[in-house]
Amino acid sequence: MSAQDDIELPETLSYHDWAAAVREGQLLGQSCNDCDHVGGVPSGACQECGGRDLTTVELPTTGTVYTETTINVPPEGFQERGYQVVVVDLGDARVMARIVGEHVDIGDDVSLSGFIDTDDDHPAPTFEPDD
Amino acid sequence: MTRASVVGAGMTKFGVHDTPMQELFGEAAFAAFDDAGVGPDEVEALYFGNAMGGQTENVTHLGPQVATHVGLAGKPVQRYEDACATSANAFKNAVEAVESGRHDVVLAGGVERCTPETGLDTDAMTRIFASASHRQYEQPTGLTFPAVFALLTKRHMHEHGTTEEQLAHVAVKNHGHGSLNPKAHFGKETTVEEALDGPVVADPFRLMDCCPFSDGASAVVVVSDDLADSFDAPVDVTGVGHATDVVPLADKDTPHVTQAARDAATTAYDQAAVTADEVDFAEVHDCFTGAEVLASEALGLVEDGQGGIAAAEGRTRRDGEMPINASGGLKAKGHPIGATGTAQIVELTKQLRGTAGDHQLSGVECGVAHNLGGDAATTVVSVMEGRA
Ligand SMILES: [Zn+2]
Repeated sequence: MSAQDDIELPETLSYHDWAAAVREGQLLGQSCNDCDHVGGVPSGACQECGGRDLTTVELPTTGTVYTETTINVPPEGFQERGYQVVVVDLGDARVMARIVGEHVDIGDDVSLSGFIDTDDDHPAPTFEPDD
Repeated sequence: MTRASVVGAGMTKFGVHDTPMQELFGEAAFAAFDDAGVGPDEVEALYFGNAMGGQTENVTHLGPQVATHVGLAGKPVQRYEDACATSANAFKNAVEAVESGRHDVVLAGGVERCTPETGLDTDAMTRIFASASHRQYEQPTGLTFPAVFALLTKRHMHEHGTTEEQLAHVAVKNHGHGSLNPKAHFGKETTVEEALDGPVVADPFRLMDCCPFSDGASAVVVVSDDLADSFDAPVDVTGVGHATDVVPLADKDTPHVTQAARDAATTAYDQAAVTADEVDFAEVHDCFTGAEVLASEALGLVEDGQGGIAAAEGRTRRDGEMPINASGGLKAKGHPIGATGTAQIVELTKQLRGTAGDHQLSGVECGVAHNLGGDAATTVVSVMEGRA
């Protein structure tokens, strides 16, 4: 069920690689070969040490809610109201995402469920609460 | 150590203005010129802030336009755009310019229009504000700026037990303060009950937890230490710290500690050779009530985890041990993005001179301004002291 066996991870992780992976149900980050820091999204350099020797890594697709809010006044382009945006702690890294399904609280277990594409073809990962 | 001095300060009333930006800025700049007793001939350069004019009013080359309006055409103008920290960044560079000897007398300030007078409704302005979050990794979730600070505040509530009622106390305090400040957008007091009864914008924030969309301008005349004594009422800038943090928010080590504010404060306090205990009052960036709680702790004015309690107990009220946002803060004074940073400097200048009028604090000698941009990924902290 893991896509890891099928998809070769890009040597240098770009936004387009990251976005394509989100559409395939995969979260990609970067691990620093100098200090082992893991970043949750593509960057040109490690946020801890500035090193550029980064390895693309597949991040877990399950985690816990680090923080969350429900937005009732959306920006232009987002029609619905009352949607929940979260930061999910995946262990080594965190990622911002949308919740689909039941409301979640900090500490709840959640799993990657797909993505939304509301914003000009920019995908955002979605998570749903575990049963 | 004195890095520079503010010798003139001016601002418009913050609120709703059907006035082009150069005219708004002119009102603030001329007030600062008159306060300092200088004319444009003596001012060598303009350090100018405007964050969103390109998006809100289709105006991008505003520097020479406002310079022309205030009689500074021909002088070098640099325009800063740093989200809500726009004019604090301009001020920092103005301080460095006179400190280094590059210039002796400069003007620093900013202007913004954010109300429906721009022709933009709440949804459109909410999207423009959200442009300060990460385009690829945050905006596609439908993130808004209330939501950014809601995410930080929710984690603070989780770790420290901060409550919605404590947040409401921040709003009540700042509205009370704003009712004494004729420049404030809101002149009306509110109650905890009223605040807790408002519609939710991004939980835990209700309407009264959020600063308004405001129009306005502010400006200060900044001179070198050597020249300061030739002016009537100089107030010294003894420290300016400026730091950034990782973007996007999810990649910050511990988002709610607002590390950039802690780093900027450490730098500013070190330069000024003061500790947080020696600070008499502060103007902090309370774009949302939770942001004031985080800032009061990051600046060391309140113990970590105690920001909400301090507000609820009145410790940060104007008659408390550490007055925070005696001007009303962004919450009640208003938040015209590019004007907010130097408006804090205007407030510190007036308080330290003893000329703040009805909202004057008694016996203050050392004040701190905290102006942040984006998800607190930019923060500028300035220390000002009465000139000995
Ligand atoms: Zn590293």
